[in-house]
Amino acid sequence: MPRRRRQRRRLQGEVELNLAAMLDMAFQLLAFFILTFKPSPIEGQVNLRLPPPHPVTATAGEQAGSDTKNTNPLQGMSSLVISVTADAGGRINSLAIGETPVANMGLLATQVQQMFADPTLGFDQVIIQVGSRVRYEQLMQVIDICTQAKLPSGEFLSRLSFVELPM
Amino acid sequence: MSAILSSDARVEPNLTPILDMVFQLITFFMLVVSFKSAAIDQRLRLPVIGSARPVDTRGTDDLLVLNVDADGNLVIYGEVKRDIRRYIQQEAQASLLLAKQSRREAQAGDELPTTVVIRADCDTPFTLLNRVLVVCQENGYRKFALKATPKPTG
Repeated sequence: MPRRRRQRRRLQGEVELNLAAMLDMAFQLLAFFILTFKPSPIEGQVNLRLPPPHPVTATAGEQAGSDTKNTNPLQGMSSLVISVTADAGGRINSLAIGETPVANMGLLATQVQQMFADPTLGFDQVIIQVGSRVRYEQLMQVIDICTQAKLPSGEFLSRLSFVELPM
Repeated sequence: MSAILSSDARVEPNLTPILDMVFQLITFFMLVVSFKSAAIDQRLRLPVIGSARPVDTRGTDDLLVLNVDADGNLVIYGEVKRDIRRYIQQEAQASLLLAKQSRREAQAGDELPTTVVIRADCDTPFTLLNRVLVVCQENGYRKFALKATPKPTG
């Protein structure tokens, strides 16, 4: 008998939540998030260490011209110098590694990869001499080639410096 | 008679499932919202290159995002900074204070622990970009990330 009484009391005091108000608020929040949603663009990046530009350095213990038997102008250098100049529209019109002109980007990529893979040359960074008019998009193609070069240690090249040329 | 019928036939829809679904949608939007995107100037056209890798700072690095438009203007949170040198000096000081928290002996001129994220327009001439890079280097920044759009594969 007391059990029946308890059940009846429960049924009489049943609380019904008004969900409509909560749903209104939830829809308002949803509308806010949908209207302010801006998917961020897919972007990549090229990570670089940019020490301040400094003169092309000879490897430790060597002075320029001290080795009279050395006929390779690049031997004894730790920095590879690449020169990039542009036409009036900012497009690359000449490329060079050191003093040697390079015909196109494909050749530049091949030569840079060969030089960095050779442990006897000992290059560990690139100095890019860039004409002031070169557009960023064009420069990034050269940076792309450099950062794809692997050092003898197996790491990708990341040390670059930029020097501005007055043209 | 009709009043009795209408009160008997009153339909109360079950709002619980729709509320569940709306809360799930709200949760999704709250999780994907990114406040970092405010620092990005989406008007810039980034260069497209093959070796651009996805951003991975592993949450350890402090980032300084610099947007440089085709005219060489430095755009930060939508505002053009006229005095580039002063802005970068202020940021470098803040970064140095941050470095001192982890390394007490850190002083001006030391390498800063911040990575400078350069987002430059593909038409920006090098001379205008280099102005920003040189000021960053003078203030102790060494780690740089140049933003680009990855070349689509396949």
